Amino acid sequence: MSVQVKDGYDVCIIGAGPGGYVAAIRSAQLGLKTCIIEREFLGGVCLNVGCIPSKAMISAAEFLHQAQHESSVMGIMIGNVRLDMKKLKGWKESVSQKMSGGVSQLLKGNKVEIIRGKATFKSPATLIVNIDDGEALEINAKNFVVATGSRPIEIPGFKFDEKTVLSSTGALDLEEVPKKLVVIGGGYIGLEIGGYLNKLGSEVTVLEANDHLLAGVVESDLVAVVEKKLKKEGVTIKFKAFAKSYETKAGKTFVKAEVEGKLESFECDKIIVTVGRKPNSDEMGLKNLGMAIDEKGFVMVDAKRRTNIPGIYAIGDIACQPMLAHKASHEGVLVAENIAGHNRAYDVKTVPAVIFTDPEIASAGMTEKECREAGYTNLKIGKFPFAANGKAVSLQSTDGFVKIIADETTNLVLGVHIVGPEASNLISEAALAIEMGATLEDIALTIHPHPTLGETMMEAAEATLGHAIHIIQKPLTKATPTVQPENTTRH
Amino acid sequence: MSQIEVTLPDVGEGVTEGEMVKWLVKVGDTVEADQPVAEVMTDKATVEVPTSQAGVVKELKVSEGDLVPIGKVMLILDSSGGAVKNSKVSEAKDAPQISNKPNNSVADGKLAATSASMTAANSAVKSAIVRPDNMTVKPLDVLPPAAESKVLATPSTRRLAREMAVDINQVQGSGLAGRVTREDLLSISSGGTENLAQATYSSPVPTSMPGKTKQALAIPKPAFQTFSAGQEERVALRGVRKKIAANMQMAKHVIPHFTLMDEANVTELVKFRENAKAVGEKYGVKITYLPFVMKALIATSKEFPMFNASIDDQAEEIVYKKYFNLGFAADTPNGLMVPVIHDADHKTILQLSSEITDLATRARDGKLKLEEMKGATITITNIGSVGGSYATPIINHPEVAILGMYKITDKPVMMNGKFKAQKMMNLTITADHRLIDGAVAANFLASFIKKLENPSELMLNMV
Repeated sequence: MSVQVKDGYDVCIIGAGPGGYVAAIRSAQLGLKTCIIEREFLGGVCLNVGCIPSKAMISAAEFLHQAQHESSVMGIMIGNVRLDMKKLKGWKESVSQKMSGGVSQLLKGNKVEIIRGKATFKSPATLIVNIDDGEALEINAKNFVVATGSRPIEIPGFKFDEKTVLSSTGALDLEEVPKKLVVIGGGYIGLEIGGYLNKLGSEVTVLEANDHLLAGVVESDLVAVVEKKLKKEGVTIKFKAFAKSYETKAGKTFVKAEVEGKLESFECDKIIVTVGRKPNSDEMGLKNLGMAIDEKGFVMVDAKRRTNIPGIYAIGDIACQPMLAHKASHEGVLVAENIAGHNRAYDVKTVPAVIFTDPEIASAGMTEKECREAGYTNLKIGKFPFAANGKAVSLQSTDGFVKIIADETTNLVLGVHIVGPEASNLISEAALAIEMGATLEDIALTIHPHPTLGETMMEAAEATLGHAIHIIQKPLTKATPTVQPENTTRH
Repeated sequence: MSQIEVTLPDVGEGVTEGEMVKWLVKVGDTVEADQPVAEVMTDKATVEVPTSQAGVVKELKVSEGDLVPIGKVMLILDSSGGAVKNSKVSEAKDAPQISNKPNNSVADGKLAATSASMTAANSAVKSAIVRPDNMTVKPLDVLPPAAESKVLATPSTRRLAREMAVDINQVQGSGLAGRVTREDLLSISSGGTENLAQATYSSPVPTSMPGKTKQALAIPKPAFQTFSAGQEERVALRGVRKKIAANMQMAKHVIPHFTLMDEANVTELVKFRENAKAVGEKYGVKITYLPFVMKALIATSKEFPMFNASIDDQAEEIVYKKYFNLGFAADTPNGLMVPVIHDADHKTILQLSSEITDLATRARDGKLKLEEMKGATITITNIGSVGGSYATPIINHPEVAILGMYKITDKPVMMNGKFKAQKMMNLTITADHRLIDGAVAANFLASFIKKLENPSELMLNMV
């Protein structure tokens, strides 16, 4: 094996996911000599086997579902709708390829050197990259950014073979819709994938160890809306269910699980295990370098995203929670700017979270519990339902609500939680409000265009203040009518 | 053959641009790596800029007189493969290994993940961080994120605070519900402290923060109203002159100056120096009066430590310095320069003399290095060698005193009832009245004059 030495880089980024490629582009924009190393796909899990392909599948499943069920209510009689799963898979891949190709163009356009191979640290200033054909590169750079992400967690008894036991990666790549499906783990990935496969025709059973779905992430009143819808669509949900093992007998697969203390067996064609993701900190020789890694496997970083090793930074899933693409991208920008000598730190009030269930869930800021833990003892909480919104009614998507939590005395917006149509697109306004330190009045007094789903945010702010227009609330104070001056013209 | 772009490198702390004074190479010249290719005048000094790469000069991208920002391409080289290889090595060698002070380590910031092993992780970080050449190390580190507190401020205001090295958590906001506004921060930078919760504020705004000092002083910038445009010439205020202007403005703005004047009978010193001059010639060193004045100044400052001090206005502390770096004002074609003799208290008259000659010569030629003009603890102005009986100099902030020495003249002095011709030298001490009282300055000057008048005693007491 021959080793070619490459040096003179200001910054070398390992991992071309939404953290790494963003860091690379910003580094190059700042005039740093930059290279990026990727062992698999440009765009990482997100663009290739995560966020983007799952969104493609969800939009297709939703389309099919509407054609089959909701269109007839509007008087559109489509007749016999048929799914070509192979074609759908091809289209999904074209979406990922389009996005990944875009990343490639952006990197090249910014003169970032793309190196494909598997990287291992030799020393804090030297990286060895094994290229597929047995060649190796030695890369010397003044700064390294570790952005190598995370991978699905395996559980005992369910080793991923991507044939019967699938990780999210395998689940997104199915060539045919499984007739019967068991999803182990009722977190957001399991519910997104289980949800769309159910719409595509699978008979889905979700095994959740907790006594509620989306444990620890989402407030229960939001989860209730999604749970009700899942059940209505025919998804079976088993709580306090611990999957133990599976066996295949005569071409049939059975998952054995302890449900509320009793052993049960669930027949299926495929098993999807979505119990979470873990950081890839056991790779690349990070431990040999003496890099500080916490007990959950996250590389320990400070607010500037420096690791304990001078010159090495870490961002994204490998660095800390939340393991979300948009957090990684934000860190990518700040770490590049830090390397270029600016003074940047991770200082955000909220990382909005979105879950593409039906209906969608989106949150920004604190939950009620978190508010109280943060010392906000007196809270105002208001809700506005999508059923009272014209656009939602015309979309036939009236499940859900916008909930706002604010400080009782200052009306400062502390948290916004949405379950409902396009929640993912609505949450950005809430994130901005929280970052800007907006009050309920700031949102209520901003004119929101009609007729849009966005009006629900304004109405929810009004509702939290106690006087939304489109729902009936008790008057808080007795109003004294303003006396009009005599010569005022009235319209 | 490949093309190499040579950019204007970062020449030192806080310098963002330079004026192209002179090209040292022309198109077609072959240059070696590290060879000086241009003289560039920054606001601190005129520096020779080397190329990091070897090759043949293909194109000069900048004309003499142009203002060049750091990082801009200055010239383009054609380079053969061999030359590139050669220069790569030198580039790696040139990359500065910037060692960050402990306050620039992770130790100050909070690690996002929590674990028992954190302390170990923190202590492991206090070593050097290597950064690319064009990066400046800020004396700041991670201030606590606003997101972790109840401070109300927009993301852009939070970023501004971080850039200003202000802990936004300690700022009392003037906005709605106590939110910290951009204006609150800017008022801190312009010297106002009323917005700071004083007891807990611990992150001083460093005065050396590049670009911030100008903003920090809210000095009016009146336009000049033209009387007769045809008979006026406008020249850009830039380079050394711009820097002098800013420094003088700053010093006069911050320091309440006062000047005390007296004269010394230096007849003995003149004799002493005549003898020393002859000795110096054997060593090939020109002995002037300046090193004697320096020695007397150091001895006097040891008696009066407040003269070799600074005021840290942010911390509200007086900084007494246990080292003596003496600046001396030099008139050069580019304007006033103040070269510095470091650790002057550890140097002999001979060493001081040769260093003075060397620094003065290079100051006139515009060849001083930046570090040779930094770090003075007290300054001497020798304007008397040019002319004038007395002056009221301006203190070189953050120093607190400047000594003025003037020309030696023969004067009739009443001694034992008779006029005798004596060599007399006028002297001034200009001091920062915040730190130095008038009577203290009078005692200082009297003690200094006594030393100058008795060179033998001065020599006997010399370290």
